[in-house]
Amino acid sequence: MVWGAWICLLSPLVAACAITVGGTHLSRRAAGWLATSSCVVAFAGAVASFVGLLTHTASDRQFISTAWTWISGGRYQSGLSVIVDPLSVFMMLIVAGVGGLIVWYSIGYMDGDDEERRYFAYMALFVFSMLLLVQSGNLILLLAGWGMVGLSSYLLIGYWHQRPTAVAAAKKAFVMNAIGDATMALALFLLIQQGNSLEFGVLGGDFSSTVANLVALGLLGGAVAKSAQIPLHTWLPDAMEGPTPVSALIHAATMVTAGVYLIVRTHAIFEQAPKVADVAAGLGAATLLVAGLIALVQVDIKRVIAYSTMSQIGYMFVGAGIGSYPNAMFHLMTHAFFKALLFMTAGIVIHALTDEQDIRKMGGLRQLAPKTYWAFLVGSLALVGIFPFAGFFSKDSILAAAMAKGGAFGYILWAAGLAGTFLTGLYTFRLLFVVFWGEPSAFVREHFHPLGRDVVAFSLAIPVGILGVLSVVGGWIQFSPWWHPVETWLQTVAEPIVSPASWQEWTSIALSLLLGLTGIGVAWAIYGAHRVAVPRIAWAQRTLEHKFYFDEAYDALFYAPAVFLANFLRRGVEQPLIADSGRDLGDDTRDLGGIVARAQTGLVRTYALAIATGVAVLAIVFVIVK
Amino acid sequence: MLIASAGNVLVWMVWIVAAFACLGSGVAVVSFSSPFYSALGLIGNLGSLAVLYLLLSAEFVAAAQVLVYAGAVMVMFLFVIAYIGPRSESPWAGGPSWQAVGAVLASGAVFIEIVVVIGLKASGQLSHSEHVDGTFGTPAYIGRLFLTDHLLAFEITSIVLLVAAVGGVVLGAHSRRSAEEVPSL
Amino acid sequence: MIALLGPEIAWYLGVAAFLFATGAFGVLLRRNPLIVLLSLEIMLNGANLALIGFSRNLGDGGGQIFALAVMAVAASEVVVGLGLVVALNRKRITLDVDRLNTLRG
Repeated sequence: MVWGAWICLLSPLVAACAITVGGTHLSRRAAGWLATSSCVVAFAGAVASFVGLLTHTASDRQFISTAWTWISGGRYQSGLSVIVDPLSVFMMLIVAGVGGLIVWYSIGYMDGDDEERRYFAYMALFVFSMLLLVQSGNLILLLAGWGMVGLSSYLLIGYWHQRPTAVAAAKKAFVMNAIGDATMALALFLLIQQGNSLEFGVLGGDFSSTVANLVALGLLGGAVAKSAQIPLHTWLPDAMEGPTPVSALIHAATMVTAGVYLIVRTHAIFEQAPKVADVAAGLGAATLLVAGLIALVQVDIKRVIAYSTMSQIGYMFVGAGIGSYPNAMFHLMTHAFFKALLFMTAGIVIHALTDEQDIRKMGGLRQLAPKTYWAFLVGSLALVGIFPFAGFFSKDSILAAAMAKGGAFGYILWAAGLAGTFLTGLYTFRLLFVVFWGEPSAFVREHFHPLGRDVVAFSLAIPVGILGVLSVVGGWIQFSPWWHPVETWLQTVAEPIVSPASWQEWTSIALSLLLGLTGIGVAWAIYGAHRVAVPRIAWAQRTLEHKFYFDEAYDALFYAPAVFLANFLRRGVEQPLIADSGRDLGDDTRDLGGIVARAQTGLVRTYALAIATGVAVLAIVFVIVK
Repeated sequence: MLIASAGNVLVWMVWIVAAFACLGSGVAVVSFSSPFYSALGLIGNLGSLAVLYLLLSAEFVAAAQVLVYAGAVMVMFLFVIAYIGPRSESPWAGGPSWQAVGAVLASGAVFIEIVVVIGLKASGQLSHSEHVDGTFGTPAYIGRLFLTDHLLAFEITSIVLLVAAVGGVVLGAHSRRSAEEVPSL
Repeated sequence: MIALLGPEIAWYLGVAAFLFATGAFGVLLRRNPLIVLLSLEIMLNGANLALIGFSRNLGDGGGQIFALAVMAVAASEVVVGLGLVVALNRKRITLDVDRLNTLRG
């Protein structure tokens, strides 16, 4: 069981190292299969851990395996340890399983790329980083995994390093994440100072409310940055510059879900700081609305899905923030299924249209690629949360939990979630109708080429098929009014602090289903059947196209002053004081040397005179002294 | 006593003549503008010094002075001067330079300091000289010293001479082959 | 046993000091390397006279040995010095120590 966890953790790392070391000795295809099989092995390890946990009673399902003492200073000690408990196994299964499918899909998608080996090494490293994050047995190791996830995402977003936009996006993601890393590190410092430990158990300790609030805020900062929630969300849409499977990996299995995992894992401290938990829920609600609105006007197929990710993570934050941890994790799982499915289907579309991502040029693909259409439809229905697809089961229970939290805040969250459902239906099916319905556009007729029946096509199609099936059946695991195995499974790690009543469940289900269908209907009326003209409200459109001016605001608030300050320091401080001082020092030394060098006439007589003078002076000294 | 005082007067007279010849020829060596005359002045200087050495009972050194110095070394000097031709140089041309002023001051200071030291600090010990026996300064005496007490100094001196001889050969041999191969100066 | 006749050793030392100072003056002043070498000989002879004077004063032959060694060194120096002068002359370099300023800083 513990060995399964270690295998799960290390096999992607081994693959990453092997691909790196192997270099050109490995064929490109072999690198891809190596990375994929390492994920399969990791998944097998995760399953082994899962089965191992099942053999224990529910109260006895936590095992920490320490390889060695990693850091030891004074009374503080941290081991290089992995934790095997229901939560980490849950995440391991998602990360290794969905991650493995995405890596497999990459074999087809990246076929023919110049640097496939590098790509697969990065992918394996990414999966390893995420597994390290979810398996780490203490917070310091979690922070290491956290940083490595940031590094891997940086490498993969900037994978096409010849594109300046990709490099800029990679830098943006890294910097935004670094902000979260920093706040998290500060929280950990505070924990060390107050609790002298970074084991997960210390979080349940008795802290003053200030300390609890600060620690929770620091952790929330990390979660917000990693999960692309307002106000640190601007990196996520830009991260679409990476290859499509990378987007799928970032959005579905790894990275953005890390924030939700972190909150659930450290829920003890959030329960001591309810205000911060409310902030988390509020940020989630704000994000789900803002992202949903922005998604309405995006014209890049991947960006629409990216904003929908932000929106769905917003739901998870609402769930985690109000203390409905199992529901947040459950939504995380179903979201991993259908979001990976959507991204991979979008990848197939992009692939078939020779790397075109602009949906205005697409249309009518339903006739040309019916299977892809069905897969995308399944993913979209799951995303909107239509019965019986996966999203239906998980999203509604979060809304019910918000209702159960009660109070004005709870109902605001609930209303925001419902509004988000409507928006989800609208933007998702806008995308679906624009891309797949109607007559094939001129661009599509010219550029479309169907998949063949080779390895490439199979490695594209089979993972999509598996995820399509999962998106249909994956949600049936838990239907909160009647059965909830996920909640039972996670109960020992993260006991939910809200329990919705039956009427709240059913109300939420009915309303969200209704609103989702309304959204779909509106989308159909506008984009599918063209019965209604697209509403044009100039200022709203402008605001949405500028993504609520977040980037512009950050430019004005941080970038411009930083550039101004840097320029000022360069011209006012560095140039005169540092750069010139070196030159001046050299000049002065040379001038001084020139003066001294005049004494070096090169004439032996001068030197002899100097010696004689010295002798004379010394003789006088001796005579006087003696 | 009378004989002794007569000898003393004689020695004084010889000393005065030799000393002044010595000083005069020394000044002459430094002040002649032609190296040829300077060299001749140095021969006079060496000869008068040899007389002074004799007065100090250093017979072997006096002989060596005349034979080696005034004989061999000065002959070499004169050969070289004759070889490259006597070139005149007027040391005081163009008025006193700072180098000339410095030279006067430094050498004057050295002279005055030595005299002051002799006169003020050491006159007590210098007024009485040891009595020596007749063998003092003879070749036999020097030879015994060289081969007993000062054997090491003797050997080192021979090595110095050997090195100098080799150096002279190297310098001369290079300059004999071609002007380009002279070690750069 | 023979006593020292004539002037005291101090007079000899005075002559030696004068010779030394004169030689130093010549070395410092003259530009012709040959005369510089000759002036050096004067300095060495001044030192020799002082050595032999002290040797007589103390009744110790070591001073004379030292004087002989100085003579050998002087002869060596003359050999090398004259060799250099000849080499200079062969390179058609003016015999003027002020022209030899390659060491100028």
